[in-house]
Order: sequence, then C-alpha cells, then structure tokens
Amino acid sequence: MHGKYDGEGGESAFVFEGNWREFAPIAFTNLLLTIVTLGIYRFWATTRERQYLWSRSRFVDEHLEWAGTGKELFFGFLIVLLLFGLPYLIVSFGAQALIARGYEEIGAALGVLAFVAIFYLMGVARFRALRYRLSRTRWRGIRGGSDNPGFVFGLSYMWKTIVGSLPLGLLIPWSMTSLWNERWSKMSFGPYRFEANAESGGVFARFLLFYLAPFILFLGGLFMAGMGMLAGYGIGGEDGMALGGTFGIIGLVLFFYLGLGLIAVAFYAKFYREVVGATRWKDLDFSFEASTLEWVKLLVGDALLVVFTLGIGLIFLSYRHWKFFITHLEASGEILLDELTQSTTRTARHGEGLLDAFDMGAI
Amino acid sequence: MARACSTPSTWARSEPMDDSFQVAASWYDGHSAVRHEGRARWDGGGELLLDAPTSRLTLPLDDLRFGEARGEHVFYRRESETDFRLTLPADMPPGLARHLPEKSEYGAWIDRLGLGKAAVIFAAASAVAVALFMTAPEWLGPRVPESWERNLGRAMIGDFGGRLCSTPEGDAALAKLLDEVDPATTQVNAGVANIDMVNAVALPGGQVLLFDGLIQQAESPEELAGVLAHEVGHVRERHVMTALLRQFGMSVLLAGANSGVGDTVFGVASMGYSRDAEREADDYARARLAESDVSPLGAAGFFERMAEEYGDDGESNAVTGWLASHPAAGERARAYRNAAKEGADYPPVLSEREFAALQSMCEDDPDVEEFDFF
Repeated sequence: MHGKYDGEGGESAFVFEGNWREFAPIAFTNLLLTIVTLGIYRFWATTRERQYLWSRSRFVDEHLEWAGTGKELFFGFLIVLLLFGLPYLIVSFGAQALIARGYEEIGAALGVLAFVAIFYLMGVARFRALRYRLSRTRWRGIRGGSDNPGFVFGLSYMWKTIVGSLPLGLLIPWSMTSLWNERWSKMSFGPYRFEANAESGGVFARFLLFYLAPFILFLGGLFMAGMGMLAGYGIGGEDGMALGGTFGIIGLVLFFYLGLGLIAVAFYAKFYREVVGATRWKDLDFSFEASTLEWVKLLVGDALLVVFTLGIGLIFLSYRHWKFFITHLEASGEILLDELTQSTTRTARHGEGLLDAFDMGAI
Repeated sequence: MARACSTPSTWARSEPMDDSFQVAASWYDGHSAVRHEGRARWDGGGELLLDAPTSRLTLPLDDLRFGEARGEHVFYRRESETDFRLTLPADMPPGLARHLPEKSEYGAWIDRLGLGKAAVIFAAASAVAVALFMTAPEWLGPRVPESWERNLGRAMIGDFGGRLCSTPEGDAALAKLLDEVDPATTQVNAGVANIDMVNAVALPGGQVLLFDGLIQQAESPEELAGVLAHEVGHVRERHVMTALLRQFGMSVLLAGANSGVGDTVFGVASMGYSRDAEREADDYARARLAESDVSPLGAAGFFERMAEEYGDDGESNAVTGWLASHPAAGERARAYRNAAKEGADYPPVLSEREFAALQSMCEDDPDVEEFDFF
C-alpha cells in the first residue's frame, strides 16, 4: 500500500477528539487512588491520563498511542532516588559535618558542588523527558526517540543559561532558542531526525518588553494615581485626595503585576510560535498558532476552574493543556508511508524519573 | 493542513460459528507505517491468522497484550514485538474472547481486586504506614543503641573545632558539676559554647552545650547544675534521638523542598522537645540534684528570673528559643522550689574559685573561635 500525505487539505493535521466527560472518570479515579496510596499511584495515574489524551489525538488519519507504563515511571523514580537523592543527602550531610568541625570552606565548596550538580541534572532531565515521551509515542506503530543520552546537553544547558543571563539577561532569548534547537535536533521519529533552527531575533523584540515595561507601567501608574487623587479631591477635598491616592497606588501595584504577567505570556506565546515554526521533520513543517490572547484565555480559564471547584479542577489542567497544545499544533507537508520505518533508537528502559523528580514539562 | 488519502476501513463481521470464525482486522507490523487491512481468522486453537493483501502472519494468542479500548475497537500489542499493533472489534464471540487478554484499566493489582476493594485496602495500608511513621520517633528513638547515637553525633557535629571554651580550671569545674548530675559510667560530653545567649542544648551523640551567656548571668553554681542536669536528662531519656528521628521524618516528608540531614543537627536544637519531654528532663534533673545533695533552689531562682524577664507563658520571647518550648517558667520554678528539702543545709556544689573559673572560661581561652553559623 502506498499511502502518501500532502499538505493541501482543509483540516488541521492534528485534531483533538477527546471530551472532558470521558476524561473525568479517569481523572477522579486517579485522584482517589493517588490519595489512598499516598501518592505512589501517580506514576500509573500519569500513564492512564496520557493513554487517554494520546489516543484521542489524531495526526492526519491515525490516532497517537502512548506505550509507556506506570511501572517504568515508578522504577525511573526509584533509580533517580537511589542515584541522585542518596549522594545528595550524603553531600549535604558531609557539608554540614565539615562546617560543624570548622572547615567552612570545604563545607561551602561541597554545598556549591551539590548546587552545580543539580543545575546540570536539570538540563539532562529536560532532555531525557522529551526523549522518553517521543520513545513512548507511537503513530502507525512507529515511534521516536534518540540515541543521545543528553549528558552533553546538560553541559550546554548550564553554560548557555549562565551566559544568557550574564549581560542583564539580554541573551536569555538566545539561550532559550538555541537550547530548543540543540534538544530537538538530537531527536528523531521513525528513521528521520527532527531539525530545528529557531532564531532568537524573532522573539527578541517581545523580550525587550520586560525592560521597557517597568518604565511604561510606572508612568501609567503614576498617571492613574494622579487621576485617582484628582478624582478623590473633587469628591471629598483633602481626605478624598488621600483616599483617591491610596486606590491609585493599589491600582498601580495590580497594574504592575498583571502587566508583567501579561508580558511573560506575550513572550512565551511568541516564543512557541517561533520555535515550533522553526522545527521540521523530514518534509513536514510544524507550526503552533496560539496567540497571546488564547494563552491568556487558557490561563485565566485554568485559574477560574481551580478557584471555583475549590482546587478539584487541578486534575483537569493536564487535559486542558494537552488539548490546547494539540489544537494549536499544525503540520504541513508530505509523509511517504513506505519510507516511514521503525526507529532504530534504543528505548530507555526506565521512565522520566529524573524529570519527575524536578517536576518539569517536556516542551 | 495535511490531508489523508488512504482507503476508509471497512468493518465486516462474518457469522460467528462455534469454534471458528473470521472478522475484519487491521494492524501495523511495527516495522513500517503501512497499515495492513484484512481479516483475522480463528479456528478454535491458540492462534490467530491475519490475512491481508499486503501481509500474512500467524499470531499466537498468548503473545497478545491488551493495549487500549476506544469506542467500538480494542487495540492489542505483542509481548514479543512491542511496536506491533492489532485492531479488533470490541464485540467478540465468547469463544474467542476467552482467549484474548482481558481489558486492563487501572493497573494489574487494582484490576484484579476491583477499584472499590483496592481503594479500601490501599487506604488501610496507608493509614497504618502513616501511623507507624508518625509514632516511630517515640518508640524507635529510645531503642536506638546509645553507641549508634554517639557515632551519629560524632559524624554530624564532631568536636566543634575550636569553638568550645576551655581552660584547665574551667574544665575541671565543669567536670565536677557533671559528676554531680550524670552518675553514669559513660558520661555525656559537656562543653561551654562561646555564644552570648542564655541557652543550653543537648545535641545528638550525648553532646551537651551550655552557652556562655547562660553562665554569665548565673548567680550561683547550683543554677548551672540544674540546667546541666536538665540537658543530661534529655540525653538519658533519649529525647535527642526521638527529636532527631522526628526531624528526619519531617525532612523526608518535605523531600525536595530543601531537606537533607544537614539542616537536621541544629534543627533539633532549635526545634526543641515536646512539653512532656521537658517535664521528664526536669524530673530527671530534680532526682539527680536530690541524689547528689545539690540545692534545687538555684534552678528555681533561675526560672523565677526567666519568668520575670520574659513573662510567665514562655511563648512571648523569640530570643531564647530554649525557653519557648519549655513549660511555663513560673510553674517550673515552683516545681524546683517544692523539691527542696525543708530546712536542709545543702553544701555548695562548686567553690567560689571554681565558679569564677567557669565564668571566665571563654574570656581566658586565648584561641577560642566564634560560633558564626548560629
């Protein structure tokens, strides 16, 4: 059979077909079992959740399949605990003992060493999380993965993050895009590698908002406070002016925080449009078309859902985020099914334990 | 905007027969992305014959593993070939259904027990585990051999470097005080810490520290004997190990949020003990003072001064953490005063000279270092 996809259809290549009523029984039983097992079930809970979300996500004409298991996630967690938790405990124990004995310098050095090690492992964890997820994602029986263990990426993560923050943080967009490129270009699906060549220039303008914003917001706030004072004076003389001024200042603080949050969302919206748009796989071009407004709607929706359900809504956030991700993800191009053969990458035997220990997302 | 152009799958079922029938099926072989659409034929044995224009294979039924169910279809994987994926209709005749792997939903154990039963069993086991964990310090602490605690204490704090005050006369006076309140053959390690705070601590490994601030404000050696006896009481009643275990348990619970044993050592000192533990230590102190014929009035005087200075509720001061977790100072002062034998004439526990040597110990020690990490 010679299947072939071209990029001329009207429908999006990625379609999400789940609905929250179907997801609810999974989420609630997961919550129950996680509570009664004191959290141990969460590895299996994660797996059940992904199985549902993946199986309701269609790429072109076939649904995705999550092939990971709760057991491997659990073992991954245990391995991390053993390989990294134990040495960390010993190092911090040793540092304390040395300080108590009067060797402050060596003790402090050990502490710094532990910090550097964690910094490094955070980079490795980000890499491995993506690798694990690709290696457990199947489409038409084909999976992804990487033969790279991510140890070099951990080093890149360290130096690029440090260099990115040094000149007043001005190079952060560069470090973020370049780390994205480095990570994705080590990944593959089936026989083909991903390519990513995102450029920081595209997101730099948005990033500059972080620097300009304080001034704009401050001036705007001053103006508001002044208006408040004037309005207060008009209503109630001197006292009214003080009251108006107070409201003005409260307004300014709110304005400031909301403003910064908004800039962060605007930046991330742009960032994801840029980096996903610059990611390719064989003859397929990806794009992610979520505007800042859509991100804001997602986050405000999250907040309202959680607040109005007294926190129970938390269990639906993974659903909402996945749906958002799939709905806005686009692909165009061509896949020749005959050429799409199985990935030759080794599959990681244990799960994303290292990631879970640091609690991070893959993308 | 990518488009699919493959033939729509058709699902047709043949007439189910007793022990043989065929059904529409589709599969991916796990080697290429090409979908094979054809029929699955079962002849009543342990094998399934898959037949499509593009592929033909025989599949042992016991090699199949349940993947997932969606709508009308069930997906199976193969144990021997993990990327293989077979799609069959969910509605199967009972004859074949018996040979197919059962649906798995929550995970093997829970599927076997049923959700309700499993939840109850897990909840009960968790409750027991939590109860054990919460009470472990109380029953485990006193059972940890003292030698272990000593080694642990040595590993954790060692000898404090040069930060304990030491002069020959001062050391002798402290040793004399200790003899009165710690009759055991293996005594605790008592020391004077160069810290200007009215405080005293018992640390892991039978290490008791009197702070220089406490010694400076003492009006009689009997006061110091009382406080020292109290701290020795914590060591002898194994409160230190209990507190250490409790602290360790807390840090396990808060794992990830900057735990580590490192914070534990002085966490014990700063966290203090329960009020019951404090009473036990006080009882121990009064018993030792009575045995050694040391006046408890010194300790009573100390607590009275503390009550006056910091208020009677013991909660109002943030400066001396030691007092905060202790029973109300006024109440304790009365307990010590009541312990005094009426009309008894206690001999002084230290001579004027010895007391003075203790008080000038930190000043006279030329190479004592500062405790800069408190």
